Amino acid sequence: MVDHLPNLGREEIMLKEMGLSSIDELFSDIPEAVRRDSPLNLPAPQTEEEIMVDANRLLGANVAINSRPNFLGAGLYENYVPSMVVAMATRGEFLTAYTPYQPEVSQGMLQALWEFQTMVSELVALPVSNVSMYDASTAAAEALNCAVRVHNKKATQKNVVYVTEWLPEHRLSVIENYSCGAETEIRTLKWDDNGMVDLKSAEAAHGCCAVYVEQPNPFGVIDENLAELKQIIGENTALVVGVNATSLGVLEAPGNWGADIVVAEGQPFGIGPTAGGPIYGIYACTEKYLRQMPGRIVGKTFDDKGKDAFTLTLSTREQHIRRHKATSNICSNETLIALMGGIHMALLGPIGLQKLALRNAAACQVTMAGVLAIEGVELLFTNGASYNEFTVVLPGSAKGALDYLDKLGVTAGLALCDVMSGADEAWLHITATDQTTNEDVAALVGGLKSWISSTVMAVGS
Amino acid sequence: MSDLFAFDGAPEAGYAQPSPLLSDEEAIAGIPESIRRKSLPRWPRASEPELVRHYTWLSRRNFGIDTGFYPLGSCTMKHNPRVNEKIVQMAGMNDLHPLAPASHLQGLMAIFYEMQEMLAHCAGMDSVTLQPVAGAQGEFAAIRCIQEYHRSNGEGSRDKVIVPDSAHGTNPASAAMCGYQIIEIPSNENGRLDLGALRAVVGDDTAAMMVTNPSTLGIFEPEIAEATEIVHNAGGQMYYDGANFNAILGKTSPGLMGFDAVHYNLHKTFSQPHGGGGPGSGPIGVKSHLAQFLPKPLVVREEDEHGLDGWTYSWEDPVNSIGKVQQWHGNSGAVVRSWAFYRRYGRDLEKMSEHAVLNANYLRHRILNPSEELASKISAMPIDGAPARVVKHEFTLSMSPVKDATGVSGKDVAKRLLDYGYMAPTLYFPMIVPECLMVEPTETESKEVLDKFAEDFLTILTEDPELVKTAPHTTDVGRVDEVWAARNLVLRHSLGE
Repeated sequence: MVDHLPNLGREEIMLKEMGLSSIDELFSDIPEAVRRDSPLNLPAPQTEEEIMVDANRLLGANVAINSRPNFLGAGLYENYVPSMVVAMATRGEFLTAYTPYQPEVSQGMLQALWEFQTMVSELVALPVSNVSMYDASTAAAEALNCAVRVHNKKATQKNVVYVTEWLPEHRLSVIENYSCGAETEIRTLKWDDNGMVDLKSAEAAHGCCAVYVEQPNPFGVIDENLAELKQIIGENTALVVGVNATSLGVLEAPGNWGADIVVAEGQPFGIGPTAGGPIYGIYACTEKYLRQMPGRIVGKTFDDKGKDAFTLTLSTREQHIRRHKATSNICSNETLIALMGGIHMALLGPIGLQKLALRNAAACQVTMAGVLAIEGVELLFTNGASYNEFTVVLPGSAKGALDYLDKLGVTAGLALCDVMSGADEAWLHITATDQTTNEDVAALVGGLKSWISSTVMAVGS
Repeated sequence: MSDLFAFDGAPEAGYAQPSPLLSDEEAIAGIPESIRRKSLPRWPRASEPELVRHYTWLSRRNFGIDTGFYPLGSCTMKHNPRVNEKIVQMAGMNDLHPLAPASHLQGLMAIFYEMQEMLAHCAGMDSVTLQPVAGAQGEFAAIRCIQEYHRSNGEGSRDKVIVPDSAHGTNPASAAMCGYQIIEIPSNENGRLDLGALRAVVGDDTAAMMVTNPSTLGIFEPEIAEATEIVHNAGGQMYYDGANFNAILGKTSPGLMGFDAVHYNLHKTFSQPHGGGGPGSGPIGVKSHLAQFLPKPLVVREEDEHGLDGWTYSWEDPVNSIGKVQQWHGNSGAVVRSWAFYRRYGRDLEKMSEHAVLNANYLRHRILNPSEELASKISAMPIDGAPARVVKHEFTLSMSPVKDATGVSGKDVAKRLLDYGYMAPTLYFPMIVPECLMVEPTETESKEVLDKFAEDFLTILTEDPELVKTAPHTTDVGRVDEVWAARNLVLRHSLGE
């Protein structure tokens, strides 16, 4: 029997009080023609203990990325979340609250989110942050929509945005779907031979509504040209930067080199990769975009006695007030995960952030050095530096290499042709994070060498 | 007040990390000098014990279902089973990568498959995707599917989506994000769908109609089958907003009502915690003619004696998929929590809806029928937001008579309820009910809680109007000045500047 229904067995008393005699009477308003004529064809109810047995069996059949050497990342990173983060965020008062529509009894969450906004603002060096988007891709897509609303009137290229070439499908397809409403035309911004934005051809973007770039780029290359981009595209075009969040412990904040809107995947701060969700998108911007931005925002104010207080603000942008004229349809967001992110950021502090970024940078460099020492393996872009991840050209199919190493117990990365239109099947995307060890790198390098000698060389001869 | 940014301890007091694989000097040398960060963000410098106290202090200034009764209409604030939280913290969930080989994700995919099948069955749909991460995103994804369906039939000129005036704001917002024009039709004098108004606007430019049933008034639409017929005859598609699915599970289904597409709110019906605003999960179900357009990928399975429980699971892209609406495979954690919830009920999910409806009707009865003693002290009673013999999982009250008699508004009563230790009902929605309070108790509240709430609610109506108008009085802060917040926009800490 189901055990979370306090009124089981008391139905009759309650019905009698209403002058009714059966539960069926409560559903008598459903027209006969649309009523179910048979019970749900589902299994019998389970107790908590039985559910745990099944959960253990099913989830136990999965392979956790941290149970073996792992080099799969590409926007979602193996990390370690300090125990205190989950312990605090899953306190029932946070976990089981709804959106703080009644600020008088929601000051805790509101203040925590306002603090989160402050830490994000400091991280990216822009004055305004919301309390989260669904993920980095929807944040990027909404940023472009926001920029079209702000700039289209003065734009010389109406309803046009530019995004860099080689965006993975999980980014580009989301941007395309979200562009339907404004019928935005998405054009491509070219790279130079180093995988950095080609500043000469970027002049073509002048006068459009927005330009979207990533730092580092999707192959992991740190783009040294971006600081000059805002000058080229001009004041009336939004520079939207998708940034690797932890890299900002060592890389300059985009707000300090011309970004108007910064979006990021917040996941490394606060939560494990958790099969892709729930995670959270960071969204920050200058004041110019504030009234057209999506999502919830917390502001500081006072109560009726002059005491400091917090509340949701600028709700007139949102769907529950503005309906079809809202800046976005977003309602439920990723608040709890943003709270986890905020707690993690606070626990790291500025020095901890820098240390975390340096751990990632070091792991990337050590892994790259190991892999590039293998004969026949080359960097796709040879002239740039990388953070967190890099892409190599293998002497054979990346999928073949992944399968081979998988059998050795190594998750070697990502075959880019699986997620990126036009990517060569020899391109292997390798991610190293703060969790990567020297032993992991040795396993990867050993595995790749073995694959080359046993498979590629064998086929070649 | 505990101020996070007042923590300014020594750098060594913060979270300790293992040594990096290279010295800091070596690591930073690999970052081009031109783009190195010059000054670090001014985050707090605090130790774990200090932060545990800060966040515990904050949590105690926040109200959740765990704190008390949360009758927030349309939000289905039911109990969140704790075993669900335990399950998602397991390594086989928390440390999975969505792009890992399918062979690494078989257990997760088995749960996905079971959820796809269960949700399709419960809603009378043919195919379900778990991709959308919120109800609003489910709406957007499904309307995009409908858009592509019309285009594939050479009917891309259908450019209008019809919504009733009682609809959630996300409905028109989601359809507008697909590029549709919104036609809002008025409800009839009883708050029901007005078929005359529908016939007047439906036509060969109709792409879809979006309906919530039971409606946001908590009332089952008696003419829903006729409405779907009108829209279908005009070539339009019917979209079911599943926000109120908690009311009808096992009793009827969107499929039986004639709908073509539906979204589910796993954070309402299936107990994913709301987390102060999210995460949610908004899977969508469709009839077979729309299945080829669903966002990708779905989970499929084949019999395999070496597989998990005899099956091997794989990802499959619908042939004419609209592509992706979010980054990975949906809010997997929410799906897994909801799976654990559903397993607790199994075929008895019907009981969940029965008790949700029982509790709503009982509470409505208790509020609208006060004891003689209380009634004698109340100068004006609220009235039903819309006349109904029975309601479903929620009901609306118009506080207009109270406001007319005493000057006490719906908002005042809502704020006063906070003093009594309750979350306030949904306020001023749906907009078609003046001075509206929308009350949804859910199935996980006991009769005693409902009795006490009704008594306290009625007691407020006997109180000095000034006391109610200036409420709340016992909360952490008094009535918050939202106008000042919107005018002055203090959106971050000044950090002493």
